Amino acid sequence: MNVNETISVIQIRNVLLVTMPADPDDSTIAALQERTLEAMNNRDVQGLVLDLSKVEILDSYFARTVAETAQMVGLMGGTTIIAGMRPAVAITATELGVTLGRTRTVMTVERALELAGQRQVNGKQQR
Amino acid sequence: MTIQDQGEVRIETEADIAVARRAVRDLAAKIGFGITETARIVTAVSELGRNVHKYAGGGVMQWHALKNGGNAGLELRFEDQGPGIADINEAMREGYSTGGGLGMGLPGAKRLMDHLDIQSTVGKGTTVTVRKWRRQ
Repeated sequence: MNVNETISVIQIRNVLLVTMPADPDDSTIAALQERTLEAMNNRDVQGLVLDLSKVEILDSYFARTVAETAQMVGLMGGTTIIAGMRPAVAITATELGVTLGRTRTVMTVERALELAGQRQVNGKQQR
Repeated sequence: MTIQDQGEVRIETEADIAVARRAVRDLAAKIGFGITETARIVTAVSELGRNVHKYAGGGVMQWHALKNGGNAGLELRFEDQGPGIADINEAMREGYSTGGGLGMGLPGAKRLMDHLDIQSTVGKGTTVTVRKWRRQ
C-alpha cells in the first residue's frame, strides 16, 4: 500500500479528522466507513471532519460512501463536515451527477475544525 | 486520425479499477490535458471500469493516444465478455441501473467525455469506447 492509498485518522480534542488519500481504491474507500464509525464509537468524539483536500477524483462509488458515512455518523449522534474539495473535483463530480446528500461542506480543514469545535462549546454551554 | 501510442490494462479485481485510473492519468499528463480535463477523464475511467468489473466480472481497457492534424487526444475502449446490454437506450437513461448502482455510470461518463459509443450483444459482451480531445 503506497502513500496514495492510506487513510489518516486522528483525533483533535473531540473531533475526528479523517484525511482521504489522492486516489483511493475501492477497499480503501470501504475502510473509510468502517474505520470512521469504529473510531467514532471507541473514542470520545462528537464530530467528524472529512478532509478531501488531497482527493483527485470523486466517482459515484466514493461519493455514495461519503454520503452514507455522514448519514451513519448522524445516526450515531455526530455531525460531519466535509472540507477542502478541489475545484477540478467539484466540477467533475457535478458533471457526473453525484451529490454528497445534505452534508455540510467548507473550503478548508481549519474552518471545519473551527466549526466542529464551536458546536461542542455551544453544546457544553447548553448543558 | 492516427494512433501515437497504445496499451491495455486488465480489469479483474476492484483494485484494477484504480490501476486503470493511474494508467490513464499518466497518459493524460503525457498528452498535456489540464487538471480539470484529467479529472473528467479519470472519473469516466472509474465509472466505466467499475461497470466492467461489476456487470461482466472483468474485462480489459485498451488505451490509445490519438493525433488528428494538430489536435491531440485519447481513446479508451472497455471490452468485456459479460451478459451484454439488452436495451442500450435504457442503459443510457439517467438513473437507470440493474446492478444496484446509482445508474450514472454510462450517462455520467458521456457527459465527462467528448464522445461515447456502446456496442453490445446479449450473451456475448459489451464494448464502450470514449474519446476526449485536448482543448487548444
